[in-house]
Amino acid sequence: MCLVFALAAVLAPLLTLFGLKSGIIATMTERLRADPRNLEITLRGHQRLDPAWFAAARSRPETGFVLPRTRLLAATISLESANGTALADVDMLPTAAGDPLLPEETAPAVGLQQILLTASAASRLKATTGDSLTGRVFRRLGDRPQTLALPLTITGIIPETAFGRDAAFVSLELLTATEDYRDGAAVPALGIVDGLPPTDPAVRTFANARLYARRLEDVAPLAAWVRDQGLEVATRAKEIETVRALNRVLSFVFLVLASIGVGGYLFSLAASLWANVDRKRREIALLRLVGLGTGPVIGFPVVQAVLVALAGISLSTLLYLGVAAAFNAAFVTQLGRDEFVCRLSFRDGAAAAALTVLFAAAAAMVGGYRAAKIDPAEGLRAS
Amino acid sequence: MTGADVVLSLAGTRRQRGSESDGFRLEVSHLALRRGECIAITGPSGSGKSTLLDLLGLVLAPDRSDGFMLNPQPGAAIDVARLWQRHDRNALAAIRARHIGYVLQTGGLLPFLPAIDNIRLSRDLLGLGDGDGLVERLTGALGIGRLLRKKPQALSIGERQRVAIARAIAHRPALLLADEPTAALDPGQAVGVMKLLLALVRELRITAVIVSHDWDLVSALGLRRVQAEPVTGEPLAVSRLTG
Repeated sequence: MCLVFALAAVLAPLLTLFGLKSGIIATMTERLRADPRNLEITLRGHQRLDPAWFAAARSRPETGFVLPRTRLLAATISLESANGTALADVDMLPTAAGDPLLPEETAPAVGLQQILLTASAASRLKATTGDSLTGRVFRRLGDRPQTLALPLTITGIIPETAFGRDAAFVSLELLTATEDYRDGAAVPALGIVDGLPPTDPAVRTFANARLYARRLEDVAPLAAWVRDQGLEVATRAKEIETVRALNRVLSFVFLVLASIGVGGYLFSLAASLWANVDRKRREIALLRLVGLGTGPVIGFPVVQAVLVALAGISLSTLLYLGVAAAFNAAFVTQLGRDEFVCRLSFRDGAAAAALTVLFAAAAAMVGGYRAAKIDPAEGLRAS
Repeated sequence: MTGADVVLSLAGTRRQRGSESDGFRLEVSHLALRRGECIAITGPSGSGKSTLLDLLGLVLAPDRSDGFMLNPQPGAAIDVARLWQRHDRNALAAIRARHIGYVLQTGGLLPFLPAIDNIRLSRDLLGLGDGDGLVERLTGALGIGRLLRKKPQALSIGERQRVAIARAIAHRPALLLADEPTAALDPGQAVGVMKLLLALVRELRITAVIVSHDWDLVSALGLRRVQAEPVTGEPLAVSRLTG
């Protein structure tokens, strides 16, 4: 029983420590993951990105989403709701299926009449999903100012957590059409026939791109790929790296503490079983004399250690569960739904239990080996 | 005496303990134990009785042996010398478990087991049940039926010895080795215990080797005596077995 309590005294704090490390890192990582902006690789300045570049980007395994963007200055639109509220020069961003900024239930805008508004823009326009808007794009053709009025329907709202400022998400088709319009070109799709000849889509280049990595771990390699082409990029890699560095540091700290704690316990377990063999030397010799084989003699302390380990693990788990619940309750105000400050996954718990049993059995082999070395002749002199 | 009658035979066997300068050597030129025979090993202290018992108990390897055979059942001879040469300790342990019973000076019982579990120890190791009723017969014959639930520390020395005898015989070994089984008993008890032991081994046709200092007791019981005697004129202390 003493060995069980001793193991629980070592294991329960280690489980709690590992649970804290896992819980904190998992929560931080989940928060990073939950914010799709952390997956974004932002290209700085104006580029000339051709269809081949987008095809190459799309084919990379790290890429989660990529879509061309037009020039930033050309990608604005003034919006006016049916109630007369207006919002000037709202940024337009292209969207398509798989856009990480869109909520799961929101379909991307398609065609020339659908628009998704950010929560901020929708609030200022006092508009919501299903409402009609009029979008206005201005240009000067020669000396003549012209205005293109577009009838639009709001097909969804993008939450504040995904995009914090005023913006409109539209199809790439609408975005390129408005850029062409601003550039003084004819846009047959919008019924605009005067102006320069329409741009040939096959040779069109884009000033920028919306580029997102598939996972947090893919941000750095994808950004490196873009940089290798001489393009300047910005990412939130630093925040991601901070969490990963914290994970590494905490893992190292845990490893050191666990090594000292578990190592010390295993040493004491081995010493205890060794001493047990010495204490029971007479009985073991007698058992060997009456024919108990080497296997059972070695196996006895091993089985004993495994049982001690299992009992210790059970007790430690109970203690850990109590402490983890207390920690999570204490920090409940700082945590969101499904977030924990102290949490151990089943896999980690099972691995800890398996390693404890394995190491305990290995330590017990020391005692078993000593027991196996006892000469059965000592049994004859046992009296 | 035919080969089938011999349970154990030793020939040209020697074993040295300690160094050449201050050691001791036991030499057994020839020793044959018949089935059901009870012999007494006698001799002064340091004459090699314990060494012989270790050799016979398969816990001490001979340095040299021209023949060391155990024949627990007719036609089932085991070449013990060869097993020692092969260092096959597991096979030797299995032979000890199945074919040899041991009675030690003060019982040699396991203190954490009640008397009945001590008695059943060898049977349990061999996976034998209680189907033959031998355990019940032995406990009845030895008068220890009321002691079976007691731990050894709650028994008198005489009671422990009777439990130890039951344990040594309960699995029907071919050979019983008893190391001064009555040394810790008063003379009156000693005769009683020894008579019980001999009666049981004779009934079960078990060959018994009893080491004893008590020449009078050995004579009174009419046992064949095998004597370990020091040999003079040798550079090393040597004891030869005769009888």
